Amino acid sequence: MGEAATKLTVVRNPAEEGFLKTYADIAGTLPGTEKIVKARRDAMAVFEELGLPHRRVEEWKYTDLRAAIKEANPVAKPASVDAGALKSALGALADVDAIRVVLLDGHFAADLSNVDDAGKGMRIMPLAEALGDKEFAAAHAEIANVLEHDTSVALNTGLMTDGAAIRISGPHETPIHIVHATTAQSASLVTTRNTVSVGAGANVTLIESFVSLGDAGVQVNTVTHVGIGDDAHVVHVKVQKENAESLHLATWAVELSARCHYDTLQVTTGAALTRNQIYLTFNGEDAKAHMNAAYLQRGKQHCDSTLVIDHIVPGCESRELYKGVLDDQARGVFQGKIMVKPEAQKTDGKQMAQALLLSDEAEFDSKPELEIFADDVVCGHGSTSGAIDDELLFYLRARGIPEKKARALLVQAFVGEAIAIIEEHEKLYEALMGIAEDWLSEAV
Amino acid sequence: MAAVQETIDHVKTIDVDQYKYGFTTDLESVKAPRGLNEDIVRFISDKKNEPEWMLEWRLDAFERWQTMDEPDWARVSYPKIDFQSLYYYAAPKNSEGPKSLDEVDPEILRMYEKLGIPLKEQELLAGVRKHDEPSQLDAEPSDEDGYAQMAGKVAIDAVVDSVSVVTTFKKELAKAGVIFCSISEALQEHPELVKKYLGTVVPKSDNYYATLNSAVFSDGSFVYIPPGVRCPMELSTYFRINETETGQFERTLIIADKGSYVSYLEGCTAPMRDENQLHAAVVELVCLDDAEIKYSTVQNWYPGDSEGKGGVYNFVTKRADCRGKNSKVSWTQVETGSAITWKYPSCILRGDNSVGEFYSIAISNGHQQVDSGTKMIHLGKNTSSKIISKGIAAGKSDNTYRGLVSTHRKATNARNFTQCDSLLIGNKCGAHTVPYIEAKNSSAHFEHEATTSKISDDQMFYCQQRGLNEEEAIALIVNGFVREVMQQLPMEFMAETQKLIGISLEGSVG
Repeated sequence: MGEAATKLTVVRNPAEEGFLKTYADIAGTLPGTEKIVKARRDAMAVFEELGLPHRRVEEWKYTDLRAAIKEANPVAKPASVDAGALKSALGALADVDAIRVVLLDGHFAADLSNVDDAGKGMRIMPLAEALGDKEFAAAHAEIANVLEHDTSVALNTGLMTDGAAIRISGPHETPIHIVHATTAQSASLVTTRNTVSVGAGANVTLIESFVSLGDAGVQVNTVTHVGIGDDAHVVHVKVQKENAESLHLATWAVELSARCHYDTLQVTTGAALTRNQIYLTFNGEDAKAHMNAAYLQRGKQHCDSTLVIDHIVPGCESRELYKGVLDDQARGVFQGKIMVKPEAQKTDGKQMAQALLLSDEAEFDSKPELEIFADDVVCGHGSTSGAIDDELLFYLRARGIPEKKARALLVQAFVGEAIAIIEEHEKLYEALMGIAEDWLSEAV
Repeated sequence: MAAVQETIDHVKTIDVDQYKYGFTTDLESVKAPRGLNEDIVRFISDKKNEPEWMLEWRLDAFERWQTMDEPDWARVSYPKIDFQSLYYYAAPKNSEGPKSLDEVDPEILRMYEKLGIPLKEQELLAGVRKHDEPSQLDAEPSDEDGYAQMAGKVAIDAVVDSVSVVTTFKKELAKAGVIFCSISEALQEHPELVKKYLGTVVPKSDNYYATLNSAVFSDGSFVYIPPGVRCPMELSTYFRINETETGQFERTLIIADKGSYVSYLEGCTAPMRDENQLHAAVVELVCLDDAEIKYSTVQNWYPGDSEGKGGVYNFVTKRADCRGKNSKVSWTQVETGSAITWKYPSCILRGDNSVGEFYSIAISNGHQQVDSGTKMIHLGKNTSSKIISKGIAAGKSDNTYRGLVSTHRKATNARNFTQCDSLLIGNKCGAHTVPYIEAKNSSAHFEHEATTSKISDDQMFYCQQRGLNEEEAIALIVNGFVREVMQQLPMEFMAETQKLIGISLEGSVG
């Protein structure tokens, strides 16, 4: 259906025209070797053909990007901020010890970063630089092609300005924190790309945060590619608390090798519209991926979580726990697809999407999908939605807890279940629970 | 894998090559010319001697159909259907309208006997008439006792190709005020009822196949249960495609007026043919205040041979409108046949406190492709729905559950529970689940669960540890797998279904 419907989109809207024009204007100034230049050109051809996805495109049924993006914002100009302003925007996250890579308005900011503290077995370079490296660019161009069917990724490939290129080997105690900060005072476009390669047996925690220092609406489009080697263990955390005018498109493309562990957590409170996509592929046997998310939205915010989990080899395990809290007219979307290919016997895949609706006008749309071609598997999904349980509320109030506080406690417990995946990282855990608390305290 | 051996064996017994209803019957028939155009629509309408408004309705649908595209979103693939190569009307000769059993072509009666539905015999066994008495269709039920005897009987509307050949027990039903006849007859005798309700649940241009059906539907059943009446017997329609290259387009309309109840069964078979036969039916249920409709289907159209050749394409639109307060509709379906199944029996829960249920067992084998599920649309307050779907995929088949549960903003306290489970046998088949859940109201409480599995070692261990041998343990577990749906079937269908599915149900029946 998607294909046929897309072909009907002959007339381009101003935003589609705008992105194409932006590309035509700045293509010459974007970093990259010839291979990357070609990858960008191919990607924009895909975008030109598909256009912005709308609700007749099945994968975007509940998030109509064509309606949401009225025009393409101009590309953000490199800016500078002082460390204090960034620290206060990050809040408690700033207190989590980390090797920090700061991307300001889509460009690496060396003065705010401390990549020089990276120890042995950790190589971090700005993506703009890496794209100029022949060997790296050759590998990266292929990565860009993997997701060519996805319009938001195509747009990212075409327009990416900078990001972090990271290579890890060995175990690392200190996390890597990629800070994506925007300073915009007027509408702008920020396109970043990160690529993380984790070697066999390595161990690392990766944090990506997205914050706004300005008040203007920014169109953020970010893609992170993660390749994980045999027996490695990666914790990948994403925190997004951009201003309520912004539009946020994030894609993670993850490839897992044998016996590795990949734990993720995505916490979202910001942006007018968020789309978090994860494409995860099991390439090696007996690997495990546990993926959690907590999103808290109010006003007219819209948060879409879309997952495509591809089990192509035997014996892997995937788990998802997605928790959404929706107030006012906020809308939560969950689309999770577990695919099990014929060879992927002994797959164990489970998915749970839950939403707590705090207002009568909030909406939750869920589409948990299973596509299974192997017989010896255990797969399942669940989806629930509803209001706060009156009995639980009564229990707390009977013990003298005021209603507002009782509600907050229940909401905290609800999202806490998902955030608990990083419990062992005490400071990070507290920072993230703090974000949920802040969100609750903002309630009228 | 030993654990599912019993299921495998049983599914094999219903394997495509062993389709037991694949015989053909030599019936002389009257056909419309091949192809589809306005004249064919007029021909069908004329054959049925329909009122002018009906012809207009059909022509309007046909006009709209020509502007529509075939839907391609379902997980089914098949060569493009050439709608011009089909016959849109075929009727066994000399049966231009339903009549008494004695006048029915003996070939047809023999055919139904072969199918296990001896129309005449059933009538005799039921004590409606003795051998030398005239058919019950002409006789008046003798007294109130005779009326009481009706319980446990099944009235059947037999449809061959495009027309209804006979409807049994009509007079007895009439005594209770129930109208049960073919829709062509209803158009003659009760045009006001047909006009009032036809197309109000499935609009004439609802979707591609429904629109085609609106234009060319040839027959089907019509049921009207008057207020406060509990239909004294099960009603049933038996569909049989006999002719070659014929499309079957039947339209069923059931109206349960205030406070009434009816249980309706539907069965279908077709001969084995090399070419694909098209079946595009529309079923509309209207349920008014406090009424209840229970609609059960055992679909066993010819599924094609082991190479995937032939078989029926089954594109069906079934929808119930729970229009009244406290109304209830329950769909139960056992899908074992058809090369392609494209079917989503739905409930529009419009009335406050209305209830919708969907119970389904879908078994696919060989090259069958099933894309089936339901839609529960909550519009009224305090509405509730329940979906239990069990898919068993074997051979090279694909079995997809596709469903929608949605609440309107004003549908406070809506409740839904969905469970869809799939069992895979072999690794050349696929089982898929595509549910859409849309909650637009905080008081709505939706729960959805889906699993895909084979029988787990834990379950086996648990059972065996309690003294069951392996066979018994499997039987118990597989039995448990489909039981929730089996329990919903009327007794009359349970036996047939057991044979069809062939899954042991020891100790769970009754």
